[in-house]
Amino acid sequence: MTAPLLFKGGRIAAEDRPDLIEADVLVENGRIAAVAPGLPAPAGAEVRDVGGKILVPAMFDVHVHLREPGREDKETIESGSKAALNGGVTGILAMPNTEPPIDSGGMVRFVRNLARDRAVVPVWTSGCITKGRKGESLAEIADMREQGAVMFTDDGSPVSNPQVLRRALEYARTFGAILASHCETMELSGDGAMNEGRMSYRLGVPGVPACSEEICIDRDLALARVARGRIHIQHVSSARGMEIIRRYKEDGVQVTCEVSPHHLLFCDEDIADFDTHYKMNPPLRTREDNARLLEGLKEGLFDVIATDHAPHTRFEKDRDFREAPFGITGLETALISLYDRFIRADAFGWDLLVRRYSAEPRRLLGFDPVPIAEGGAAEFLVFDPEAVTRVDETFMRSLSINTPFLNRELRGSVEQVVRDGQVVLDRPAGVVP
Amino acid sequence: MSAAAAPLPRRKDLLDIESLAPEEVVQLLDTARPFKELFTRSVKKVPALRGKSVLMLFYEPSTRTKTSFEIAAKRLSADVTNFAVSTSSVVKGESVLDTVETLQAMKVDYIVVRHSSPGVPNLIARHTRASVVNAGDGHHAHPTQALLDAYTLREVLPDLAGRRVLIVGDILHSRVARSTSRCMHKLGMEIGYFGPGTLVPDTRPDFARGFTSFADALAWKPDVVYLLRLQLERMHASFIPSLREYHTVFGVTPARFRQIRDAGIWVMHPGPVNRGVELVDEVMTYERSLINQQVENGIATRMSVLYSLQPVTEARADDEGAGP
Repeated sequence: MTAPLLFKGGRIAAEDRPDLIEADVLVENGRIAAVAPGLPAPAGAEVRDVGGKILVPAMFDVHVHLREPGREDKETIESGSKAALNGGVTGILAMPNTEPPIDSGGMVRFVRNLARDRAVVPVWTSGCITKGRKGESLAEIADMREQGAVMFTDDGSPVSNPQVLRRALEYARTFGAILASHCETMELSGDGAMNEGRMSYRLGVPGVPACSEEICIDRDLALARVARGRIHIQHVSSARGMEIIRRYKEDGVQVTCEVSPHHLLFCDEDIADFDTHYKMNPPLRTREDNARLLEGLKEGLFDVIATDHAPHTRFEKDRDFREAPFGITGLETALISLYDRFIRADAFGWDLLVRRYSAEPRRLLGFDPVPIAEGGAAEFLVFDPEAVTRVDETFMRSLSINTPFLNRELRGSVEQVVRDGQVVLDRPAGVVP
Repeated sequence: MSAAAAPLPRRKDLLDIESLAPEEVVQLLDTARPFKELFTRSVKKVPALRGKSVLMLFYEPSTRTKTSFEIAAKRLSADVTNFAVSTSSVVKGESVLDTVETLQAMKVDYIVVRHSSPGVPNLIARHTRASVVNAGDGHHAHPTQALLDAYTLREVLPDLAGRRVLIVGDILHSRVARSTSRCMHKLGMEIGYFGPGTLVPDTRPDFARGFTSFADALAWKPDVVYLLRLQLERMHASFIPSLREYHTVFGVTPARFRQIRDAGIWVMHPGPVNRGVELVDEVMTYERSLINQQVENGIATRMSVLYSLQPVTEARADDEGAGP
């Protein structure tokens, strides 16, 4: 049995409280034994001085590409889980667009077994909606569910045929399963590589119009209404798309949605010199979309923040803008970049971040959130708001480094991560798996 | 020939028109003039780039631009090498950067690049000490075409400020429209676009006005009508219904040609011309058609560009280190 841990002098963040409160936290037997100011150290306890630091419930990311099986050169379940931990994320949901795709109970079991043996944080997996992600016929959703898949999606592509999606929603409804939609109208996206607008015209890069996404969001939600199914709209990038979701939410359709840090932080103007670290799908839209998505997040329209962590090799990202693959990594930078750009700038508080990137993602999948409260699971971070994280290759644990933050500095640092009552990441002590 | 103008201050590459200051455009055009005079002499060569090497890296087939650059480089006494891309390792999945690394090892001074993807010259320029000249990258930019267009116009209209150019056709897919409009705009010209709605995007720069008919566009009294080449495959992607309709509505028909001739409007086209689509045959022999001058001036302006750029050679890097 491990010794009790006493975190002294920190301030605690929670989803339902805009202010941080000062309190000591005692961890015993994997649970939080007490949260109060001035706690005495029990016999044999290890005392950690966390004065000036913030204790934050650990993050959970429902949109992660781990590339295993198939592209283990980009990321593996192991490396992806280490990247998550490094970024303060202690649970991740893998997308099924691997090679081959995760579209059967056997594949789900394979991934879950690998995760159990190699991952440093719990890794959950989603399964495909259709066999081979081809959008033609339903995959064995019940069997995958039986084997532990917690969401179903053909992410990377939409289910183009609306009849197939309708059937999937109806079928999944039987089990209360959630389908997640990557919304895109392929005929409109064509060979587009960035948002269609002034910037794409200027650069001569084929554009993806925002209506490619908006039409599909509207279509998928209309289908969810008819099918009375549960649907989750992934990585919303367009403000109009967000407004469509608002309408359906008000109508009582069972829809949840996510926003990615990069769609809040960056816009198509950042592509200026054809930098492929700003190429993702859906593409970065306009500065105005950034602002309106941020408002939507603050209003509570977005249920969760999710990164769409999409590792690619340096070789692939070094290709020209049109050829380079879509996607950037996110697990290691999401928390610190949101802190650096928004919390520090008072755009929103820790409560929003905890709610949208820790508590709600867990609830979405039917798990309990991990508030720092007496009797709860000890799963939190010690965050240093003043330290600086330099996002370079020595910092990153992902096998890929395709992030716009590469070699940049962000304020804030995930100093320690506690899980199951143990300190599993201790940066000052050099313990970073 | 003596140096008519000082080279541009430390510009390594020519990737687009946008990043050039108007004075730089003018300087490049002025520098081209003595080069063109050279063409009337029996010896058309100057030693300006003797001992320098120019590499032609054409990922996209091109006869006219490539030949123009080759002649320009040779008249500057540079050594010209063709990197035969289609037959080289590109087909084996080698990236542009792998190729550039190889070229870097060959110590070339100038790389003239054409590629079907926008931004490839920028990518190469970032990774090489050689001067990179964009000879056309996808729909993005074609700066030397813009310069030769401006040069050609300046020969017939000495002061371009306030003059009007009407660009007709496929604005959306045209690097020429992008670069030439910017260049002419920088020289103070007014720009109008006319073409099918599918090919004249709303996302164009604010300075370019739009028209809804050829008649309206001509009523604007342009000094120049610049016809863009229509890629014939556009028809298959629902951009236009047929070539016949395109010609009837957006082409220079015999009737429109008479209007253009009567108004003394200059006609330009980047070539090669689709006769009977963008324009009827008569236009080719019209005394105010500048199409052939454009080709001739292409060599002089490209000489000016190569002459004006400064590769970051080892020696140059040392010079910089010794500076104040």
